[in-house]
Amino acid sequence: MKTSELAAFLGATCVQDRYEDREISGGYTSDLLSDAMANALENGVLITIQAHKNTVAVGTLKDLNAVIICNNRTIPDDMIKAAREEGIALFVTAENQFTVSGKLYPVLA
Amino acid sequence: MIILADFHLHSCLSPCGDLSMSPRAIAAGLAARGVDLAAITDHNSSLNAPAFGQACREADITPLFGIEAQSREECHILCLFADAETARILSDELYAAMPPVMNIPEKMGDQVFVDDEENILGEVDKYLVTSANLSLETLAARARELGGLVIPAHVDRPSFSLTSQLGLIVDGPWDALEVVSMPGSPGADPALDTRGYPLITSSDAHYPEHIGRRAFQLDMNDTPLCDKTGRADIEAIRAALSRRPRA
Repeated sequence: MKTSELAAFLGATCVQDRYEDREISGGYTSDLLSDAMANALENGVLITIQAHKNTVAVGTLKDLNAVIICNNRTIPDDMIKAAREEGIALFVTAENQFTVSGKLYPVLA
Repeated sequence: MIILADFHLHSCLSPCGDLSMSPRAIAAGLAARGVDLAAITDHNSSLNAPAFGQACREADITPLFGIEAQSREECHILCLFADAETARILSDELYAAMPPVMNIPEKMGDQVFVDDEENILGEVDKYLVTSANLSLETLAARARELGGLVIPAHVDRPSFSLTSQLGLIVDGPWDALEVVSMPGSPGADPALDTRGYPLITSSDAHYPEHIGRRAFQLDMNDTPLCDKTGRADIEAIRAALSRRPRA
């Protein structure tokens, strides 16, 4: 699956769409950024409720394709700006981390 | 005597800190804003503390040697000491307890430490904005054991704070809590329960223009700020912090 297919597949909204459209290597679900920093997959997606720009730093460090923000958490402008600068796609969905992980597991794992 | 203090300053050692934030430049910025007492608090490291101490003394500012330590729970805690050597003890313990996640300077920012003439002495290899594998309780107890002040950082912010990570202000050996907005001021969260701890504000400066913003007043009463050796008197500051507003 490619990053551009995520929005339709999940019913999520893309809030930062300037990115290189790459194949997704897998996913990681965590709300502890230091854990995500250690364990997220390169070219993968991070599923989290941590809607702030520090999450983008994890994305940069791990070369993530996308960050998926759950529970309709409000995404601050500086997070969108940081993600745009780094070319990391940002999605937001009303669903929680369990549901999003469950949907993506059969196609990414 | 009422003094002006800033307890939260990042230097060029923090990857998110501007490279122009040398200890000397920070001291100059503090002096220009009339700050009397200031702490350098880089993420998980005190390696710029010696240069900060020298620069502060030349600028007639009393230095505190601190670290913004990150616990296992991803809470940021300001740990402040009277001398750079003690700060270095905690700094080394944090380094050992941090995971082997290496910094990528071109992506995340430089992590350089300098001497008091701004010569680069080296850079830290591990990425500093990660969690040491120490619980909040262990970290706070260790900082107190080393004689430090222990102040949870920006407790009213949505990331890396007691409230964002634990859902509330938990009890601990806190000498104060740092808030971005004092209760009742514009932007303050009326629902935040600070549990009666003394409250301070500080700059959390990463860029020169932010040095000294939100500096706070500390009433030392008749107590000297420094002890006989010329170092900041931590117990006098602890007592003064207890007189800060608690709501």
